[in-house]
Formats: sequence, C-alpha cells, structure tokens
Amino acid sequence: MKVIGTKITTNTSLFLFLGFLVILFSFTSEHFLSPYNITSLLTNISYSGIAAIVLTLVMISRGLDISIGGVIGLTTVVVSALYSQSDPLPIWLILTIGLGVGAVVGLINGWCITVLDMDPIITTLGAMAITRGLAYVISDSQSILMFEETTDFISNGVIFNVPIPILLFMLTALIFSIVLHKSKFGRSIYAIGANEVSASLSGISVNKTKMILYVLTGIAASVSGIILLGQTSVGMPQHGIGAELEVITAVLLGGTALSGGKGTIYGTIAGVLILGVLFNGLTISGVRYVHLQIFQGLLLLVAVATYEIKTRNEVAR
Amino acid sequence: MKSWLKGLVYGDDIVGALVIFLALLILFFGLMTPHFWSSNNFYAIIGNIPAMAIVCLGLMYVVLIGDLDLSLGSILGFTAILAVFFFKVMHFPLWLNLISCVFVGGLFGALNGVIVTKIGINSIITTLGTMAIIRGLAFWIATDVDAMQIGRITDPSFLNFARYYFPAESRLIPITLVYIAILYGASFLFLNHTSFGRKIYAVGANEATARLAGINVKRVKLVCYIIAGMLSAFGGLVLVAQLGLGEAQTGQNMILEVVTAVVLGGVLLTGGKGRLTGVLVAVLILGVIRNGMVHLEQVTDISFYWRDVAKGVILLLAIGLYSVRKSFNAKRLRTRQ
Repeated sequence: MKVIGTKITTNTSLFLFLGFLVILFSFTSEHFLSPYNITSLLTNISYSGIAAIVLTLVMISRGLDISIGGVIGLTTVVVSALYSQSDPLPIWLILTIGLGVGAVVGLINGWCITVLDMDPIITTLGAMAITRGLAYVISDSQSILMFEETTDFISNGVIFNVPIPILLFMLTALIFSIVLHKSKFGRSIYAIGANEVSASLSGISVNKTKMILYVLTGIAASVSGIILLGQTSVGMPQHGIGAELEVITAVLLGGTALSGGKGTIYGTIAGVLILGVLFNGLTISGVRYVHLQIFQGLLLLVAVATYEIKTRNEVAR
Repeated sequence: MKSWLKGLVYGDDIVGALVIFLALLILFFGLMTPHFWSSNNFYAIIGNIPAMAIVCLGLMYVVLIGDLDLSLGSILGFTAILAVFFFKVMHFPLWLNLISCVFVGGLFGALNGVIVTKIGINSIITTLGTMAIIRGLAFWIATDVDAMQIGRITDPSFLNFARYYFPAESRLIPITLVYIAILYGASFLFLNHTSFGRKIYAVGANEATARLAGINVKRVKLVCYIIAGMLSAFGGLVLVAQLGLGEAQTGQNMILEVVTAVVLGGVLLTGGKGRLTGVLVAVLILGVIRNGMVHLEQVTDISFYWRDVAKGVILLLAIGLYSVRKSFNAKRLRTRQ
C-alpha cells in the first residue's frame, strides 16, 4: 500500500482506474466501444465537464458553488422564453443575455462571499433556491419549446466529425489548465486556497480573485445550460436538477481537496471521464437509473474517503 | 439608530426580532388577502408545519456541533416509503411500524455519524453522498415492490397517527401539535438541563477545548447524528399519515427549507449556539410565507413560485445579517480594549 501510494501519483492512478473501467465495460457490453456510444458518451459528459473544470478553480481557492444546477435551469428558461417572444431579439443577443444570467448570479455569489464574508456553501444554497425559483416564475412551471439553428448547432453540430460540445469542453480544459498551471493568476488561486491570510499579506487581492472565479463558474454553468437547451430543444425549470452533485463528485474524484490549495485540471478531466464512463457503462450493461443514483453517492464517499485516509497516512509519516 | 432597534439587529438574542418579523408577515398577508385571517386557515398553516418543525429540530442537533446534514430530507423520504412497505407488505401494527421506522432513521444517522467521526470526511460532502444513496434506495423499493406502486394508505388506524384531534369532537388541538410540543419540550430539557446536552454545546463551541476538558467528542457527535436521523424518520411518518401517501419523492426539496429555517432561527453554522424558540419561530415564518403566497396569488397576479425565490432571499438575508453582526461585534470588542 505504502509503496503504491508513493510511486504512483494520484492522476496516474485515476487514469489507470479509468482504463480498468473501459476494459471492464467492453466485456460486459458489446456496444460499449462502438464509435456511436463513445461519441454520445463524450458529448454527454462535456455538458457537466465544462462546469466541473471551472468549479475546480473555485474549490482550489477553498470555495464551493452549489448553485450550478439552478443557474443551468434558469439559463435554459431565460433563453427559450426570450426566443419565444412574438418579436424575438437576435439570437446572439439572446445567448449573450443567457451567459449574463450566470455572470450576474456569480457576481452576487462572489460579492456575498467576499465582501460580506458569508459561508460559500450557504450562500450558493440560497442562490440555488433563488435561481430555481426564478426559473419557475418566468416559465410558470411550463416547458418552453425552442427550435433554433444556432443553439442546435452548438449542441448537435460537428466540426471535422467532432461534436461541438466536446470541442467546447476540450477548449475550456485547455484554457483553464494554462490559466491554472502556467499563469500568475493560477498560482494566486493555489495561494488563496492554502492560506488566505498569508496570500493577502503577500499582496494578492484575494477578494478580486475569488469574485472572478465565481463569475466564471456562473458563466460556465450558463454555457452548460445552453448546450443542454440545444440538446433537448426545450427550456424548463427542472433542467440541471442534481447537476451540482455530479459536478462536485467529478471534481472531488479528481483529487481536488475540499480544504483548498490542492487540485489539478487533469485530475478533474479524469474525474469527469470516470463518472461518464461509469454511468454510460452501467446503463448500457442494463443497470437501472435508481441504482445509478446509489452508485453516484457511494462513489463520492469512496473517493473522498480514499483521499482523507491517504492524507492522514502522509501526515502520520 | 434607536438603541432598541440596534439591540434587535446586533443583539445576541434574535428571537425577539423573529417574532416581530412573523407578526409583520401575518399583518401583511391579512391586510392583502381576504381569507388569511380565519380559523380554517390557521389550522391549514398549523397542519403544514409538523414535519418541517420535527426535521428542523433534528438538523439543529447537527448544526449545534458545527456540522450540516443534507441527507435528512432523503431519510424522511425513505421513511415514507418504508412506512408504507411495513404497513402494506409486512402488516405491522402502528406501534411496531413507528419503532422500526425510527430505528432505521437512527441507523442512517449513525452511518452519517460514523463516516464523519471515524473517517473524518467533511459533513456536507458525506451527507451529499448519503443523500443520493438513501434517495436511491427509496426509489428502488418504491419501483421494485409491486404492492408499493400506489403508496396510498386509507386505514384510519394508521392515519389517526397524525390526524387525531384533542378533544375528538370539537377538533381543538391537532395531535401533531402535541408531538411538536413534546419533542421540542424534551429537547429543551435535554439540551439545557442534562450534562450531555451541555456537552453538545461545548463540542460545537470549541472542539479542541471540549476534548481537553475530557469530553468524548466523537461520541457526542455520533449521538447528534443519530438523533437527527430518528427525528427525520418520525417526521416522515407524520407526513405519510397526514397525506395518506408515501412516495419516493417525499421531501425531495425539503432540506433547503430546513437549513433556511435553522439558520434563520439563529443557530450558528459554526456550532455551539442556538435556541429552540428561534428555530420554532423560523419554521412558523416559512410556513406563513408558504401559505400566504397561495392566498396572494388568488388576489393578485403574483406567481406562487415567488415563494422559492423568497426562501432563498431570506436565507441570504439571515446569513448576511449574521455576518454584519459578527463584524460589528468584533469592532465593538476592539474599541473597548
């Protein structure tokens, strides 16, 4: 145990686990490795993956955002409601407003958490209720159909045979891994997560950095919402219920510590892939949805317990 | 600012402020809508809060030790399914059903408590996981057992568990109110007048100090989780008997409202501080808002769904006010020195 723990890094073991899952499911289902299934698997995970990538930064700074699901629902409703007006605005403006929804929610979250020094979990729990409630108010609890070329292209279009959601996911991952691992801004995120007071004393503007992170998370959630809207062609307030659990599980699975200051984009990508492969593989092997929910909860607990025990062993050594 | 107003906003005791807020809400809805002030509606409000009040009491124990339990809504939902299962499939009498359900609730609470205290995982993440697991188990039973396809119960011997009135003819005091009085009364005595109850406050206020003072911190925490689970199960049974229906979705969005009530009631999220009266008044406030919004929708065009928005705003205001108070008090301490 000790030998394995020291020789293989977290990320390597995550990708090994991913490989194990892929081999396992290719035996349990003949359709698992078909090109169609792989494409649909990757398309499905990109929607939560985009939010997970950005949430990683927030969690490294020792924050958390559980309003993601609410923002997804509100974005789909706002965009589809604006489009279904008798004289709709141009689509680029509607989509910008959709992204603005996430930005505004993120701004309010960030303001409450930094300026008012409120607890991030409770703040975003409140934001979750508000966004979900507003989605119900705006849509009057109805589903709003939306067939539109641009959103359809964003969700179902392909460039060089690669679906656009996957490209968006890869692009987000690339940009944020450069930001996090290669820029000064990224280093300051780690510093804030490790010790906020000392980060502030060494000249990092803590509040501004955190505020930017929450706004980015909001925007990422809105992007997820727009992708979901295009995939389903319907905007409804129930969209994204439970998305926060999925996203947080993926980030924690990827080795980001809840206590902040630790985590990588590669880890989160591995976490998102593992979750996606696990759910796709289990579904295609005939496991039912009710059992998937149980698996998801167990996976979250096992992932966090593993890191907790590992950290404790390291401290003991 | 007037000194009494300052006292209300910045003072340690927020129960007074909550009561005034509740009175203003009742006044507002009474003036705006024609049927809000009526004995029928009074019973409607009272009838709506028992499960909430009981689960809030459960969460209060966990928050007092500085943790948070998000799985309570799922435990309530699982109990709802379990009660129907015991009643329809196992044909348990009511007392056995009650004991078994509360026992299972306690088991789930113990599971949370063991994971948090033994493995040391953050309570929010632990209960986020068990929330999904327990809800999944509830759906599993609900969909796989044939007798559960319709979770309706019509037998009065079971329904009277929550539908009985004292005295029976004049229907004056609902039995659910008696449950609330007993549970809150017992908790009051337990928390304030037993040494174990004081230990709960001590652990929440400062874990390290409590440990140095010889308190078995892990045991205190475990007991709090078990109490929370048992109370949620009891709340689930009350809800099933009230509705005559147990579904896997029962209590799915409840936990947000429960956390809001506990926070609004002045229980510190960092633990060690909080009063039962505050939580009870906060439960009433949320109940009045929920009921009042329905009345308001009747006379104005305001959508009923604004209540969800109102819930979130109240949660943010409650926490925001607490933050402002904290920084004000810190400043006051500094100026004194």
